Amino acid sequence: MTDRERFQLIQQYAAGQITWHELRERGFSDYVEVLGALGEAGLRPPVARMDGPNVEARRRGRALVREALRERR
Amino acid sequence: MLAGALDSLLRPGLPVRIPDAVYVEATRVHDAPGAEQIVEWINAHLDHVQIVPTDIGIDQQRRIEEGRAIRGLGELAAVEVLERFLRTESTAEALLLFEDSDIEKRRAIVDERVSLISTGDFLRELEAAGLIQSADYVLDQAAVQGRNVERQRRAAEDPAMRQRLREQLASTRPTVSGQDGA
Repeated sequence: MTDRERFQLIQQYAAGQITWHELRERGFSDYVEVLGALGEAGLRPPVARMDGPNVEARRRGRALVREALRERR
Repeated sequence: MLAGALDSLLRPGLPVRIPDAVYVEATRVHDAPGAEQIVEWINAHLDHVQIVPTDIGIDQQRRIEEGRAIRGLGELAAVEVLERFLRTESTAEALLLFEDSDIEKRRAIVDERVSLISTGDFLRELEAAGLIQSADYVLDQAAVQGRNVERQRRAAEDPAMRQRLREQLASTRPTVSGQDGA
């Protein structure tokens, strides 16, 4: 993978166009490497929209964390 | 999640389990600053944080020794930990922390007792609870720290680069001395 390809991939990842799974298939070995490439490019990791196939499980997860945080106060 | 933000994982007061292969992926270059912080953080919170051994982790060790790729093994180890947990703890619930881009697009096949949360979701909840000032700031810092760790990794993992630098330094020294003496 050339530096240019690497930069393009990381831009696509930050923009939410490709996934971490796809990055791995295209040569990134672990997530620290992804964070490193994002840092070099001045970008930040993408945040998922509340959309897609796992929405219900994610809503449960957020509610669980919210409740746990409330109990700790 | 970056080493500097690891304390945020403890904020909900839930026990944290880290599959061994995930731990190795994050700490495999021992001298990298992020790795040291992770080791120190786990040791400081052993009452809440445990590394869970897996068969995948054993395979990962073998692959590292043989110089083979270890790509994707952390995720497989997480599945193994989860399956074992659900099998042995009949009423317990688990919360799986997932990477944001994958959680949005890839279906996670999970038991109803398993909830999912992405790093972004998690940080947004902490932000809403007033426990961190900004999720975006934490993510920015993760990228900055990742860049620093990655630079050190590259230098540590490339003996040829180190050797070339040594040779270059050795070969330039006499020239510098000669110029000084001229």
